[in-house]
Amino acid sequence: MSGLGRELWFLWRDRAAKVWLLIGCAAAGLAVVFGLTEIAAQRDMIERLKAADEIERAVTTEGHREDWGSAAYYTFHLTYDPPEEFAFAALGLRDASPWKHRVRMLALEGQIHESDAANPDFALTGRFDFAFVAAMIAPLILIMLLHDLRSRERASGRYNLLSATSADVRMLWFSRAAWRVGALTFVLLVPLWIAGFMSGAGASKLFAASLALLAHLLFWWTVIAFVNSRTWTSTVNLTALIGLWLAFAVVAPAAIKASVDAAIGVPEGGDIMLTQREAVNDAWDLPQEATMTPFVERHPDLEPYAEVEGTFEWKWYYAFQQVGDQVAEPLSVAYREGRARRDALAGRLAWLSPPAKLERALQRMAGTDALAALQYEDEVRAFHADLRAFYYPPMFKGEAVTDAALAERPNFEIPAKGR
Amino acid sequence: MTAALEAVNLTVERSKQTVLLDVSFGVAPGEVYALLGGNGAGKSTALLSFLGLLTPKSGSARVQGRSVTDDLTAARRVTAYLPEAATLYEHLSAHENLAYFLSLAKAAADRAAVDRALDRVGLQPEARDKRLGSYSKGMRQKVAIALALLRDTPILLLDEPTSGLDPVAIDEFNTLVRSLADDDRAILMVTHDVYGACQVADRIGLLRKGELVGGFERPAEGRIDTEAVHAAFAGRTVA
Amino acid sequence: MSWGSSRVSTIATAEWRLWMRSKSAIAALLAVVLIIAATSVLTAVRFTEERQERAHQQEVAEETFLSQPARHPHRMVHYGHYVFRTPPPLAIIDPGVDSVTGQSIFLEGHRQNTAMFADTRASANVGGFQTLSPASVYKVLIPLLLIALGHGVFVREREARTLAPLLAQGVSGVTLYAGKVLALTALSAALLTPMLIMSLIGVASGEAASVSLAVVAAYGAYLLVWSALIVLMSAALRTRGVVLGCLVFVWLSWSLITPRLAVASASAAEPSPGKLETDYQLKADLRKLGDGHNAADPAFNALKANLLAEYDVDSVEELPINFRGAVAQASEADLTEVMNEYAERRMALEIRQSHHANGFGWLSPTLAVSAASRHLAGVDLETHHRFLREAEAVRFDFVQGLNKSHVEELSYADDIHRNQSAEASRRARISPENWSVLNEFRFQPATADERFGAAKAPISMLTVWLTTLIAVGVFASRRLKP
Repeated sequence: MSGLGRELWFLWRDRAAKVWLLIGCAAAGLAVVFGLTEIAAQRDMIERLKAADEIERAVTTEGHREDWGSAAYYTFHLTYDPPEEFAFAALGLRDASPWKHRVRMLALEGQIHESDAANPDFALTGRFDFAFVAAMIAPLILIMLLHDLRSRERASGRYNLLSATSADVRMLWFSRAAWRVGALTFVLLVPLWIAGFMSGAGASKLFAASLALLAHLLFWWTVIAFVNSRTWTSTVNLTALIGLWLAFAVVAPAAIKASVDAAIGVPEGGDIMLTQREAVNDAWDLPQEATMTPFVERHPDLEPYAEVEGTFEWKWYYAFQQVGDQVAEPLSVAYREGRARRDALAGRLAWLSPPAKLERALQRMAGTDALAALQYEDEVRAFHADLRAFYYPPMFKGEAVTDAALAERPNFEIPAKGR
Repeated sequence: MTAALEAVNLTVERSKQTVLLDVSFGVAPGEVYALLGGNGAGKSTALLSFLGLLTPKSGSARVQGRSVTDDLTAARRVTAYLPEAATLYEHLSAHENLAYFLSLAKAAADRAAVDRALDRVGLQPEARDKRLGSYSKGMRQKVAIALALLRDTPILLLDEPTSGLDPVAIDEFNTLVRSLADDDRAILMVTHDVYGACQVADRIGLLRKGELVGGFERPAEGRIDTEAVHAAFAGRTVA
Repeated sequence: MSWGSSRVSTIATAEWRLWMRSKSAIAALLAVVLIIAATSVLTAVRFTEERQERAHQQEVAEETFLSQPARHPHRMVHYGHYVFRTPPPLAIIDPGVDSVTGQSIFLEGHRQNTAMFADTRASANVGGFQTLSPASVYKVLIPLLLIALGHGVFVREREARTLAPLLAQGVSGVTLYAGKVLALTALSAALLTPMLIMSLIGVASGEAASVSLAVVAAYGAYLLVWSALIVLMSAALRTRGVVLGCLVFVWLSWSLITPRLAVASASAAEPSPGKLETDYQLKADLRKLGDGHNAADPAFNALKANLLAEYDVDSVEELPINFRGAVAQASEADLTEVMNEYAERRMALEIRQSHHANGFGWLSPTLAVSAASRHLAGVDLETHHRFLREAEAVRFDFVQGLNKSHVEELSYADDIHRNQSAEASRRARISPENWSVLNEFRFQPATADERFGAAKAPISMLTVWLTTLIAVGVFASRRLKP
């Protein structure tokens, strides 16, 4: 038996180790299966939504051609954020943050904060995805594999014999642990790679995810090696290590979350909608110039057409919808910035909790993190701006609704993602 | 002749307690030296110093003339160790255990050599591929001795090798130890068994509270006088 | 009974003495006590503030609505109103779904909005469990402490070979078992003290004593399940390593794996189309009802004919009531019926999903105790649905109240000419006294009886777990071998 082969053989003969590795493999396997299923379901739903949207748009377009104002009022536009190929590995915030919205020309702030959340009981529990297995379960399995590597030998009186017999005793402990770390990494990564190839996730992403997982496990190996270097019993080792797991994987994230939320204030979401609603509602009672003046500041090109005749005109109606957004804009920007700053700070503080860091890293690669949610929100905003840019000129100029003009109406397109 | 094993003014502390104080002795090839003492006398400490598992505070433990701490690898290469109540891996068979430990020691041994060693220690052939978990204490000890044999080192360190064995097994073991010494090996055994020590040892060092308090040597004919050693051990006489 | 109670307590005391002499046991105990204290204080402070804050927001919303100037009634229908869900007193122990569902709903005509702004969306994302509450500490962390301290109760004696002398003294296996379980039970009881204090704070802030104590009892039963399991494993398995390995595996599967598997299984068994998707279907159904803003919509021809016949007039202008208001009223009623049908369907689906997931409590007492705790504390899915239904009732009442004013207080002529001039627009307004159709809304969780009813299933799961484990434990301890 050669040195390396010997310890691999030794690992193979360790029944408890095999059981833990099997648990790891099963957990990773289940996680990627659930992930793939969920992603497929989300894609299916987007297809169904697109089909339903097309039917509904045809009906509403046909039914409201009298003027551009009605056409804009009644037509909803579907926007969506399709899951990336790698999203199966980390479902991330897609349960909590919306990835599909229907918007129309009304004030956007009244629409974009709507959520289409799943069952709250589910959101409370969380998903069983690969990121969860890698961040939370894998360290525990590694602890179970390594915590008694030396103490077990000490307890059964073999430690001195092993030390006295071994030609290179450091190599012995190193290779015993290394095979276990390697085997765990392997059984976790095989399901990931299989699922990755099935879903078409790029090899570079899979490689980066594998490296992240490896780095995570190496961190835990270091922690375990430190604890093992004390001459404690297996029980004390395990107690200490599970305590450290709790500290790094449970207590630290909770503390980070609480302190980030406390450190960076974000306006109450409800206030944004309230402000926007108040502005829109007040506009009905205000002189029309009060609406049109701030409006043309944003749209100087429409100034020549901004004269409102009579008590109601669509262009006035849409102008105060937009002014409602403008009034709520400082809050809305603060809300967006606040979330981005919270995320950035959480990202820095997450170095204190390697499991949190890994989960965040995987979510980043999967495009399911807070930044991706913000990016989608920005895309919806951009699309809404496109809608305004499309509807305003013919509406303000009082042009007729024609098929040719309708054919130019913007459709939501998924921008190429630079993740 | 230079001593294969030599303690030179060896002083060792464990947990700030002096457990060996200024102990000196040597073991020559072909010689069995028994370090005799009661519980806590410092016997095992002396043994672990030769294995480099403990570092002396002053003085040195020397293997083939060189301090163990200077060249640990060289020292371990020439030393085989039989721990007290030797437990090899219970989930492995005798053959598997020996293959594993020999590989650890980078010692090559084919199956025939292993079987010869197991023959020599008297382990029944039908037991050799069964897991150690099903062995009696004596059988386990035999596997551990076979390991020491297979290492084929010029130096053997034995820690309470006969404790827990039945009288027949002890006799067998003592015979084996004598024959190993006759093959020109230097053997250091630590024990509290006065009778066993007198039976196999060429020389006996009496250790009490970390100090070497007496010595006995085998006469040209016969054995060391058990009664005398026993009296010294019990503190009735000064050896 | 063959086993004297004094012997049982002697055995239990011996176990305690051992823990109190172990530095690592004391350290673990202190760490857990510190975490319990920190989470309890933080959660209590947070939810006490939230309760006040949301009650205050509710009052402000009502005042704002009532203080609106004279307006066209339909403008007030769109002006809308907010309702807030105040967390129940026991949210200081278990915040439940409160953090993942929105706590306020904007109510307006023709629409049922979703609850807005769940905490999870805006707060920092660090994966994993994210927030710790007293409930999650008791569910997840304390069992680990019990394992760390308790796994050795038998196997330690076995390894130290003290089990044989004990049994030789004439102490029966069952007595030993009872003593060891008692030791862990006493430890659990001591650890439950902070939760008991929290539940008393809940009682002081108006919660029924029965449910408050029942929450503590549910966690007590849960910790007892763990104690029984730990002692059983320690008695049945040969070595410490195996006992620990098995217990950690059970902990892992009960608290980390099974709950998430339950979610995966429930969402596969009862797939949810999501609100957006059903909205398309809803929209299609609604198109058949007609647009309530457009009294000329042919969908209202029947209504028109009925009214003309009822008042025996020839045109809507001659009606003594405002026809536009009547259309708004009728269409809101029809619309609400359809929307409620969809909402009820969606809520029924969510309940089925949750029942499916909670059924996994037969496999994981951790899941059972979380369900029991959410039901008892009044922070369950049903409570959220109750909030949605009550909000909808408020919405429908004030919208129809305003529509009634629209019918009765505003003349049809003024109404249809409202866009002609500023003066005409002023005539088409009604006075603010009409805004008092808004009912005061104070969200109350379900009564104690209803909550016990909802918690029946998970409580029976815990009971079955407990009795089974104790029965197996007694059986195994009868044949205890050294």
